[in-house]
Formats: sequence, C-alpha cells, structure tokens
Amino acid sequence: MEIRFHKRITTAYIFVSPLLLIIFLFILVPILGTCINSFFQDIPYLPKKFVGMRNYLILIKNPDFWDALKFTIFFTLASVSLETILGISFALLLKERFPGRGILRTMLLIPWAIPTVISARIWQLIYNYNYGLLNYLLQGLGFSDKINWLGTPQSAFWALVLADVWKTTPFMAIIILTGLQAIPEDIYKQAKVDGARFIKRFFFITLPLLRPALIVALIFRTADSLRIFDLVYVLTGGGPAGATRTISVLGFQYYTSADFGLGAAVSSLTFLIVFGFSLLYIRLWGIKKL
Amino acid sequence: MSERRIKSIFIVTGSIFLFLFIITPIFWMMLISFSKNISFLTGGTYQFSFSNYITILTSKSLHMMDYLKNSLIVASITSPIVLIISSFSAYAITRINFAGRRIIPLLVLSISIFPQISIVGYLYRWMGNFGWINSYVALVLPYLAWTSPLALWILLSYFSQIPKELDSAALIDGAKRPKILFRIILPLATPGVLSGLLLVFIACFNEFLFALMLTSDYRAQTISVGISLFQGLHGEIPWGELMAASFFVTFPLILLTLVFQRFIIEGLTTGAIKE
Amino acid sequence: MKYIKILLCLLLLTTACQKTPKFTFMVGGSANALLYWERVTKEFETKKGIKIELIRLPADTEQRRQRIVIPLQAKASDPDVFLMDVIWVGMIAGARWLEPLNHYINRDNFDINKFFKRVIEDVDTFKHKIIALPVYVDGGLLYYRKDLLTKYGYHEPPSTWETLVNMAKQIQKKERIQNKAFWGFVWQGAMYEGLICTFLEFCASGNGGISFDPLGKIKVNTMENQKALKFMVKLIHQEGISPPNTFTELKEEEVRLIFQQGNALFERNWPYAWKLHQEDPFLKGKVGITQLPHFEGGKTASTLGGWHIGISKFSDVKEMAWEFVKFVTSFEQQKRFVLKLSWNPGRLDVYQDSEIREKMSHLIILKNVFENAVARPLSPYYSQISQILQRHINAALALKEIPDEALKKAQAEIDQLFAYYGD
Repeated sequence: MEIRFHKRITTAYIFVSPLLLIIFLFILVPILGTCINSFFQDIPYLPKKFVGMRNYLILIKNPDFWDALKFTIFFTLASVSLETILGISFALLLKERFPGRGILRTMLLIPWAIPTVISARIWQLIYNYNYGLLNYLLQGLGFSDKINWLGTPQSAFWALVLADVWKTTPFMAIIILTGLQAIPEDIYKQAKVDGARFIKRFFFITLPLLRPALIVALIFRTADSLRIFDLVYVLTGGGPAGATRTISVLGFQYYTSADFGLGAAVSSLTFLIVFGFSLLYIRLWGIKKL
Repeated sequence: MSERRIKSIFIVTGSIFLFLFIITPIFWMMLISFSKNISFLTGGTYQFSFSNYITILTSKSLHMMDYLKNSLIVASITSPIVLIISSFSAYAITRINFAGRRIIPLLVLSISIFPQISIVGYLYRWMGNFGWINSYVALVLPYLAWTSPLALWILLSYFSQIPKELDSAALIDGAKRPKILFRIILPLATPGVLSGLLLVFIACFNEFLFALMLTSDYRAQTISVGISLFQGLHGEIPWGELMAASFFVTFPLILLTLVFQRFIIEGLTTGAIKE
Repeated sequence: MKYIKILLCLLLLTTACQKTPKFTFMVGGSANALLYWERVTKEFETKKGIKIELIRLPADTEQRRQRIVIPLQAKASDPDVFLMDVIWVGMIAGARWLEPLNHYINRDNFDINKFFKRVIEDVDTFKHKIIALPVYVDGGLLYYRKDLLTKYGYHEPPSTWETLVNMAKQIQKKERIQNKAFWGFVWQGAMYEGLICTFLEFCASGNGGISFDPLGKIKVNTMENQKALKFMVKLIHQEGISPPNTFTELKEEEVRLIFQQGNALFERNWPYAWKLHQEDPFLKGKVGITQLPHFEGGKTASTLGGWHIGISKFSDVKEMAWEFVKFVTSFEQQKRFVLKLSWNPGRLDVYQDSEIREKMSHLIILKNVFENAVARPLSPYYSQISQILQRHINAALALKEIPDEALKKAQAEIDQLFAYYGD
C-alpha cells in the first residue's frame, strides 16, 4: 500500500511538472527578472549598473508617471462601471423570451471574437476626423462643425472607454446571463406573489444571487482594464501628446526609448498595482470558497 | 403603466439598441472595405468594389499572407501542446491527492491577471541574448505559458466531473496513468478539450504585446501586429485597404466563434460560475 | 509522450528556418513615399544585382523609432540599413548601434564634401566618426502672404522678430474686420518634439540655443533663451498675434491648414508645406517663403530636420549595405527625390543642377537656410531631455510657469539626468 501511495504522488509531480516548468520559465522568472532589473540602470552601451531605488525615485518625481496612473485608474473606473451596467442590462434583456432573442444572443459574441487591435483600428476609423462614422453622422444631422474626437485628452478618454466597453461588454453579459439563468424562476414567482415590484426583485433577489459571478467577473475585468495596452496603443498611441498613456503604454515607451531599468520599474509598479487591486477586491467583497 | 407594458418597451428598445451597438462598427468596417474610394464620405458617391481585397491579398510588399501564416503556425503549434500539458496537470490535480493540489490551480489562475508589460521586458532581453528575436520560438514559448491558465481551468472543470471510479477500475486492471488519461478521460472530456483548443487558438491570434516586442518583421510577425502597423499602398491612411484586411481576418474568426459558440460560452463561463 | 517529442522537434525546426541571412532595409512614411522607396530598391537590385528586402514601417514617427530600436537593442542582424529621423541619430549613435563609415568612405574615395558641412558635422558625426549620411534635410521656414504685405504697403518680408510683430499686429487688426478668424503668426507650440524645433529657432536667432558646454553638459537656462521664451509667451498672450490653442493643439498640419485656409499672415513650418500651398487654388501665387527672422543683433536660425541613412553595427551584410547607402545618396537618386517627392537633398551639387533650378526655384532659398541650420543636441538621452524641455516650455506658454522658472527647472532636471547617467 505504501509503495503505491508514493508512486501516486510521484506520478502527480511528474504530471504537473511540464506546466509548472513552462509557467516558471516564461512567466515567473520574467516577472522576477523585471523586478530585479528595476533596480539597475540599463542603457545600451554602458554596463548594467546597480542603482537601488533610484528608478523609483525618478518615477515618483516624474509627472508623466502620475498622469499615466491617474489616467489608468479613471479609465478603469469608467470602463468597468459602464460595461457592468450595460452587461447587466443586456443580460436581463436576453433572459426574456422574445422573437429574435437567439440571434441577438449569438451576435453578442461578435465583439469578443474580433482581435482587440482590429477593433481598435475600426474605432480609430469611426473617430477619424475626415472619414469617421461619427462625424459623418454629425454632418448628416446638419451640424457644420466636425469634432476631433481623438484630438483632446477628454474626448480621447471617452473615445477609448467606448471602444473598450464595446469590446468587453459581451463578456460581462454572457457571464451575467449564465448567472441569471441559474436563478430558479420559483423565487421570482414567490416574490411577485408577495407583491414585490421589479426594482425590488432586482436589488433584493437578482443582485445578491448574482454576486459570486459578478465578483469574479469584476476582478478579471478590473485587472484587465488596469493593465490595458493593446487598445490604447493602437487607437491613440497614448496621444494626444501622451495624454492617454496607461501605465503599460508608459512602460513600453520607456523600454524603447530610455533606460531599460526605468521601463522595468514602471512594469514592476504596474504588476504591484494590478495585484494590489485584485487582493483588495478579494478582501472587500470576500470570496467564500478560496 | 403595468409592468408588462414597461417590459415590452424595454425589450423592443433594448433589442434595437443591442443590435445597433454590436453591428455598427462591423457594418462600418464592411462598408469601407468594399468601397472603391473613401471620398464618398466627403461628397462623392459610393462605389462597390473588391479592389481593396485584391490589393491586400496580392501585394507581396504588404505581407498580409505572411502575417496570417505566422499567426496560424504559432496558434497551431501552441494549442495542442498547451492542451496536452494542461491535461496532464488537470488529471493529477483532480485525481491524485498530493500536496499542492489546491495551490497549483490558484497559482495558475492568478497568472491570468498578470500584466504583460511586467513579463515582456525581461523576455525580450532573454530572447535577444539567445538570438531568438523575430522567430516562432520567441512567440510559442511565452504563449504556452500565457494561455495555460485558460486551458487548465477548462480541463479542470470537465475532468472533475468524470467519476474517479473509472480510474480505479482501470488501475486495478493494471493500466498506467498516462494511458488512462488518453484512453478514458480525454475522450470523455472532448467538449472541454475542443473548447480549450478553440479558446487558446483564438487567444494566440489575439495576442499583441509579446508579438509587438519580440518580433521585428514579416518573417515572424503575427496578424495582430501586421494590422496594427498597417500603412497600406496608396494615399494617406488607406482606410479601405485596412478595413479589407480587418474583415478578411475577422470573418473566419467570427464564423468559428458562431459555429462553436456553445463550446466557447461553456469555456468562458466555466471558470466564473462553476467553481 | 511520442507526440510531444515530435512537436518539440517541429518547434526546433521552425527556429532553424529563420536563420538565412537577408539584406533588409527598414523605412517608414506615407504610403506614397513607401511606394517610391520600393522603386528605389528595385532599381538598386537591377543595377547592382544585390537582392534587398524592403520592410515597411508605419508613418508615425514614434512607431518607426520603436520598430527600429527593438531589433537594434536585441543586437539582431536585421535590419541592415535604415532611415533615422535627425533627432534619433544621436540616440542610436550614442547607443553604439551604428557602423562607422569612415573606413568605407576612405576606401571608395567617397566625396563627403558634396554634402552640407553643417549637417555632416552636427548630425552625422559621433565621436569623430561619421556614422550616417543625409537622405534629405529640412529646416524651419517663414511662409508669408505676399499679397497681404503688398496690400498694406510692405515690400519685403520681415527680417527681425520685432518687425514681424509690428507687421502682424497691424495687418491682423485690419483683416479681422472681415475675417474674425485671422491670425498674425501661427507656429507649432503643442507639447511635442516640434515645440523644441520652434523654441530652438527663437533662441538661436538671438544668439542663444541648446548646446553642450565645454564640460559636456547641456546648457539651457541662459539669458538669451529666457528672452526667447518670454517672447514666445508674449506672442500669444500679450501681442495676441498667435492663437490661444498654439500650446495645446498646433502642430505642423494644424498650422498649415490655418495658413492654407487664408487665416494667417505668417507661418512657421517645414518645406513640405510649400508644395501643398502652391497646389491650393486659393493660395496659388500669394505665398512667399524666406528665412526665419532673428532678434536684433542676432542671426537667422532654422532647426535642422530631415532623415538620415545608417548601417546597423550588427548587420551581417555590411558591404552590401554600404553599396545601398552610396546608391541612395548618389546624385541621380537625390535629384529624383527632389523631383518626385519634393524632398530637399543633403547633397549640394543637386542644388546647382539646371533642371532643378528651373523646376524648383525655391530650393535656392532653402540651400541658404540649410547652411545655417542648427541641430538639436546629439545625445543618447535626447528623448528624455526633449521631454523635460517640452514640459517646461509648454508650461510657460500656458502661463503655468514663469519663463525664468521654467528654464531653471528644466536645467535642474537635465543636470540631474546627466548626473545619473554619467558619460
């Protein structure tokens, strides 16, 4: 019996080792390596030099970093709120039976299926000053002035949020819809008999029962928004004049223009921020099974 | 107004809104891609034409086919490997009682919230030192790690539903573990495996930052980099050609998604709901 | 288990397939420019029998720089030859990524004197070695409405800033009666690299500038520079001849459009705008170009722009790369650049060519401008220096910082930068 037991354990370790090895080599080691790199000065032709916390001090004194951080946080707040509200609305809609529901449910997957960078370029076109859909509609409606959607920091912010919401709301909607469908109809029937109106039913039955699914979805979506790169890099390039740089975009710019160690510092901070937020979430909302 | 009435209004307006919300960007992409000239937006007339598609498909200097080829190769190599590796791990986690059985899934899951920027810098240096920049290896290896949480979680969910008694029976008969995995478990978990393959395949197509930094030209760049940097052949920004390239890539992806939507939705919601 | 081994073998095989040496040329730009480069490379292939691969980059400058830096930083053997914006030459040279060309120049008796001396000295030389050659050069110019000047009794464009302000104020006041959107002088003041170009021109035209002191540090906070910055602020906020969105929005195209729509008297812009102004039916024949004005006691100054060609230090086909460099900078090719793309060549002899003189007479003015061009400082950390300056100059223009304070802070930050990196 003893030998069989040991053999099982060994087998288990052998089975998990390829996965763990790959993850160790190509995720954990790089993260650690980035963190270590952040304590060095790393310029192309000079030997790497240990500089301790200097890169972090530079970042703290650099308004670019704080701007990027602020932008990232505001972007996350706006985007996640909007897609949650929209996601819940769409899910509520699709829970009902009506002709065309099947088609709409199928269509919901389309934004998710499109690669992010491609959707970014489509939105880039929609926002384009001369050839964009939005200005085309504006002109059609009779307004003489075209708007430079990507030209000012404020409008570029909302332009990005809308593009992100378009791409990610389907994911939210699908998760929430599945969650909604898991709620037995009887509970609602009972509540209706008891005289509860829709709003009450929603806040006292639906939301609480959706909580587990919502929380998990929110953690992922928040982490995604905080670390966002693809959409921003392709849609605005961080512009105008660096006003829409998220911390990931800033890190990339530093990697390709300045001190590599500085880029590593921004990247490490990004990691801490995303991880920190996630832990905060878990703490605040609590997850029973963990 | 009765609740029923409000509900009907909500359904109608909601449906229209949802439809327009999803369709409008797609419609705009298609419209522009099939238009001979973008000047119809500033006063000309719309002319339907395939010229944009012909341009992007036949111009060698645009390298569209190269980018597609690279994406297909990288995705095709990554998906089966990561599924195999993950199925071994999923098997061990769901069937064998060993230390780490609970921690490993959590560890792997936590990776899916790691920012890519925190990984790519070091990877870049590393790959550079090996001279692997702009090669398939530079992409496949990180992709294996990056998509593994996805694969693992789907397989865990499906494997855990397969009764352990099947294993016990086979073990008593003298079968080895790997054989059990391949002959018994995987066939029973086929929907999960398909889901996993599909989701990983799509994820490889979608991936951007690693490809952006670890490749430098058409010999290894994927379609996501190709389209993001697309400049076209004529004019300022050739929106027509760009939209044609976009539609050319998204059309099969959308088809794939629609055909296999059940698998995809199950795969996506598995992690969130069924835990 | 077997399958895994097979897949791993496939993986290794695919790695091996990437290693055949290729001769690659990385260049970006608008689609039209890239189309022209394709013709150049095809011609090169036919004439020299060397196969060359063109790698297209986007038009966006920042993206072009990133695409070049990524393989260079990784010491990749491709790209072999590439084009660099004048401001990156310092960074790329400073990173020791460029192959020194002196050996090839001497061996092949390549006549380096055929190029603008200032350009070669200020941009293409690093630590006494020539590391790049100019493909085309750019310099800031003053565009003006000939017809309006004549209308109000002026026969010549202003040669000093003080005169320009007077002319602009007077004419703007009169023109505003009919055209509320009319401005006296439009220039690039948004927070981007172009702001440094404009700033440098104002400074240098008053004997200031951004340059290295004998100790190798960059000096920015000088009396002359403060005067120039104060002047720039005055243009917007006191004299009112430059629009309030100068420091928020105005870059090259915005400025060009204002002038092209007939809403400006004077414009500071690059030579590219000339062709576009001439092609505009409203403006045809009404536009003049000249050197930028200077402060009393100073000298006209124009910030050097343009693109240069260099060979990667890690290239595996350096001889072939050098052939291509010679080809691109040859008289025939440079002349074609002028005729087909309206680019201004880095070679002096093209300006003497009779056909060029006939078709592009404005090049005579440009030749003078380029001979007096000022380059931005050549430094490996130029992008960080530029960021610091942009931030503070733009803040001064936005009235968020007093010019003296702005330059003082910028100087302090730049000094600290040098303290960090040594060298």
